[in-house]
Amino acid sequence: MAPGAIVKSGAATILPFACSSSSADWQSQRKKLLGILRFSTPPVILDLSRCTKLSHNDIGFFLDCLALATGRDTNILLVAGSQTNRVLLNVTRISSLVPVFDSVTEALADPMITKEIGFGDQRENVRQGGHE
Amino acid sequence: MELAAVVVVPSKEDLTAMEMGQTSHAAVSEDSQPLCSSRTPILGNDVLRSWMEPIRKLGVRSLWLTSRPRERSMAMDLAQFARQGVERFLMISLKSYAEMDLADLLRFHRDSQNSITEAKDARGNLGVSLLDRLAVPAVDPIYDSGVSPHSEQAPYEFGGYAKRILSAKERQELVGDALTGACAMRPSGARIREQVWIGEGASLADSARVVGPTYIGARTIVCAGATIGPFTSVERDCVVDCGTAVEQSTVLPDTYLAPGLLIRQALLDGRHLEDLRSGIVTDLQPLGLGCRTNQPPHKTSDESATEASSRHTSVGAAPFSARQPWLQVQL
Repeated sequence: MAPGAIVKSGAATILPFACSSSSADWQSQRKKLLGILRFSTPPVILDLSRCTKLSHNDIGFFLDCLALATGRDTNILLVAGSQTNRVLLNVTRISSLVPVFDSVTEALADPMITKEIGFGDQRENVRQGGHE
Repeated sequence: MELAAVVVVPSKEDLTAMEMGQTSHAAVSEDSQPLCSSRTPILGNDVLRSWMEPIRKLGVRSLWLTSRPRERSMAMDLAQFARQGVERFLMISLKSYAEMDLADLLRFHRDSQNSITEAKDARGNLGVSLLDRLAVPAVDPIYDSGVSPHSEQAPYEFGGYAKRILSAKERQELVGDALTGACAMRPSGARIREQVWIGEGASLADSARVVGPTYIGARTIVCAGATIGPFTSVERDCVVDCGTAVEQSTVLPDTYLAPGLLIRQALLDGRHLEDLRSGIVTDLQPLGLGCRTNQPPHKTSDESATEASSRHTSVGAAPFSARQPWLQVQL
């Protein structure tokens, strides 16, 4: 799956994030992901499993994502993907702003997501009820 | 001379071997070297000094300090001492802090008629042993593999206070115990209030918060809005920048921490952070979150390693070298 490729899983949008080797790569990924985040349905899972070494640019990018999500009242969840990433998310206090999980599976089982699925089902039922 | 005291400072190779042996969890470290060495201060104290007084009480007037390279035979060096009339060696591998009555160890050694007596606690070998002159050839296997060829001899079972200082977790436990008076070690500095000690020349901003039990080492700077403690030791010459919180952690000498961080249950040494819960060691420098206070950004890692090594091994005398691997320290 290419970095930034959007994946729909139930009620959540999963955005894979990869470490970029060059500044140009990083800028392009940032633009793409922020664009997707701007128009995706909440909640959004930002998956760092492919990112083995976070940089200060990456941390800045996560903060941009959080600012954007807060402005749109979107729930955002992070998948650390490795213990090293988790430690860095703790040290930079990002984990105190958003929930951080070890895997996408774990994130999808979070009440924030399951509640959203519940709301989705309810909306579907209401819509079906209206047709009857 | 009946008894000679020998303190062995684990060499870089020994430390790496010990660290690899101790890593029982599935931790993946970026750097296999342990962050602290035997000579890294704990609350401003040198663990070597904690052994000096008990050794002096045995009537020994000086100790021999060595950091033996792995390829060098310690047995050969000790045999030379034996030829000069030493009957017995008190060998201390500087990997533990133990509040041990060495006279009691000596009595046990004599009474049990061992040729080698190793001190152990519930967690294993403490790195303290007594060795008769005739058992000198056995010393290399002990230091190379930790296995004594005389293992059938009765060990000295130590039930007192002991911590392995090369384990980040146990080191942090020692810091907590020393700050709360649960062991004999005391922070080296002035007590400014209940369970808060400050080293000479340390500077705290007015808005910085210090929560005891905590130690702040000499010349360390704590900037505005930072919070230090509880159960924290920030050793000498560190800088904790604005708004950073350090809790239940140890910051080793000459470490700079960037603004706004949350450091919890960690050991920090310059650019490296070891998470005490997971054992993960991570590099803060690429993220601009931490580095050495005295390290200009253009310095190479080799230069930094040399500096770190000399920082940890200086003893107020000439550092060890291949030609001069033994230092005599007067007690």
